[in-house]
Amino acid sequence: MVLLVILISRKWFSSFAVASYSFLCLGCSAIIYFMPQAAAAPAGLIGQFFQFDALNSYFFFVMSIVFAASAVYNTGYISKSDRRQSEYNYYSIGMIAFVFSMTGALLSTSLGLSWVFVEATTLSSAYLIYFSRSKHALEAVWKYVFICSIGISLAFVGIVLLLIGCGSRNSLLFKDLFANALNISPFWLKISFVFYFVGIGTKMGLAPVHSWLPDAHSEAPSPISAMLSAAMLNTAFFMIMKMFSLMELADLGVYARTLMLIMGLLSLFVPAVFILIIKDYKRMLAYSSIENMGIMAAAVSLGSAGIFAALLHLLGHSMIKTSLFLTAGNVQKLFRTKAIGKVSGIIKVDRLTGWLLVLSFIGIAGLPPSPLFLSELLLLKAILAEKAYILIPLVFGLLTIVLFGMGSIIVNMAFGQRPVTLKEEKVPLGISMYLPQIILVLCAFIAGIYFPGFLLNMISSAAAAIGGK
Amino acid sequence: MTDTLAVIYGLVMIYVSATNRIKTHIKILSLQGILLFLMCYFAVGSASVYVFTFLAFETLFVKMVAIPGVLNRVLRGKNLYLSNDLRIPGIYSLIITSGIIFMSFIASNIQSILLDSTARLYLSVSLASILISLFFITTRKSVITSVIDYVMMENGIFLLSLTLSKEMPVIVSMGVLLDVFIAVFILGFLINKVSETFGQEHSDALKMLKDTDDD
Repeated sequence: MVLLVILISRKWFSSFAVASYSFLCLGCSAIIYFMPQAAAAPAGLIGQFFQFDALNSYFFFVMSIVFAASAVYNTGYISKSDRRQSEYNYYSIGMIAFVFSMTGALLSTSLGLSWVFVEATTLSSAYLIYFSRSKHALEAVWKYVFICSIGISLAFVGIVLLLIGCGSRNSLLFKDLFANALNISPFWLKISFVFYFVGIGTKMGLAPVHSWLPDAHSEAPSPISAMLSAAMLNTAFFMIMKMFSLMELADLGVYARTLMLIMGLLSLFVPAVFILIIKDYKRMLAYSSIENMGIMAAAVSLGSAGIFAALLHLLGHSMIKTSLFLTAGNVQKLFRTKAIGKVSGIIKVDRLTGWLLVLSFIGIAGLPPSPLFLSELLLLKAILAEKAYILIPLVFGLLTIVLFGMGSIIVNMAFGQRPVTLKEEKVPLGISMYLPQIILVLCAFIAGIYFPGFLLNMISSAAAAIGGK
Repeated sequence: MTDTLAVIYGLVMIYVSATNRIKTHIKILSLQGILLFLMCYFAVGSASVYVFTFLAFETLFVKMVAIPGVLNRVLRGKNLYLSNDLRIPGIYSLIITSGIIFMSFIASNIQSILLDSTARLYLSVSLASILISLFFITTRKSVITSVIDYVMMENGIFLLSLTLSKEMPVIVSMGVLLDVFIAVFILGFLINKVSETFGQEHSDALKMLKDTDDD
């Protein structure tokens, strides 16, 4: 695919190649679910190091949906840009490499190999974030590469400490680690989890190691912002879940859950502080991503019911956040600014974009029929089951502050008067810049009313795979 | 012999905190590469030829030659000699560095750590190196010294992995190589771009993106 992009070297083909790859991923994820025998590990080296299981199939499915939506949107988004052909080629190759790296991280059967692929996601997405070549984008990519590289290095320290704890059993394959979990030195396992969790938590955007996220998500092109927020953060969450499973099997689950709860609550607190003073709507969406990652981390700390809620929340967040970022791309094209103060009356300028923004906000706010309403209800149920009543005012209070902040911004942007400085002639946006968001929002809201059986099976199987129970 | 090399490595970290010439820091990276090669030779020399060759390539070529070469190239023509504008005075930096080394030695001698004395020494020096490098990253303003300190942190991580000596899987070595080699080239590219775009190498220039500003 990459070779074809370089050889053919046309803007339409670059977009077509990315979209084709995205539908290939979506097709593969469907085959894996409906024909599991086809997804059996092939013989040889590839089968030894890359396999589908219940957990990574679910994450791969979610990633495929996000990638397909972003790729379709990208065909219209890129056509509106005026750049050299070589830059489009690098951009498309970067997207393919980025998704390939995430796929590798999800499918790896070895902790070390997963780590290599997660590092590759940082390097492959660096060019994508810097695509606009502005000063702000340069600053964003510098922070992103530097902070994430330090985080990944700390995760590597965690892996080395884990190997020390394993003693003579020096395999990093997940099946070997899980089988020997009780034989790993608890002292080294605890220290290794701290380093690994903080390191991969940097990639996941958990506070207090989140500082790269608002900059990178706001400066990247909108399709890339969607993939960073709804796919890459999920990949990091997957890596943390693998290590969390090891801790559960080693009877250190309480320790791991405590750390996840602390960082989850911090990740809810930080957006609540900044959302009320924010001036850039893409940064607002980035802080919303931090908040949702915090919800997922906190949910996992509440046991098996919380894990199910976290995985359901992951699906809903991925679909709706993708729709939000892509719609934000429309707003940026129409108003040529990311400043909240300079955007108003979107519905008067472009009715469909305005209503997509409002509906996507209803989705992210967890109002029915959003699937996030279900996941947050399950989170509440898990909190009550664990008798952790103090979490109710903490979690839901902070959530309320974030949603108040976002709601006031989006209502002002969507409704209100059209800015007088805005030119009369509207920038034409193609059908590909509306269709993905319409499909995502519709599917999300339908899932919130009637949850399909196959999705329920997928999430249940994935939840059961965590902790090996 | 390996104990001596580990002690020299620790002393080098104290020297880094005492000097603020950027070229000296780059030379210290080369010195660390040589020290790491010698420690690999004594710790891993009897293991598989392939593993040893790979580690020798990583230390002698990548850490001693390639990375300092890239950084020297970035430095060329920029008239940067000092990593000035430290966020805290140099004397305090020296005291804190010494304190970190002391605490690392205390931590590595905890009873529950079941390692032999050489491995404990490696563990203490490597932990100190990682923590000191993270300390330098936060207290120095130049983006070039940030990259140098990042590479020093990677060297500390490599030293930590040597506590596993010949039991370390090759894939871990590959991960270190990927991380250091490609990340440094990306950072080297980014440093040039930052210098060209912002006209200075201080990280204070990289503070335009704020939550309370609009574009």
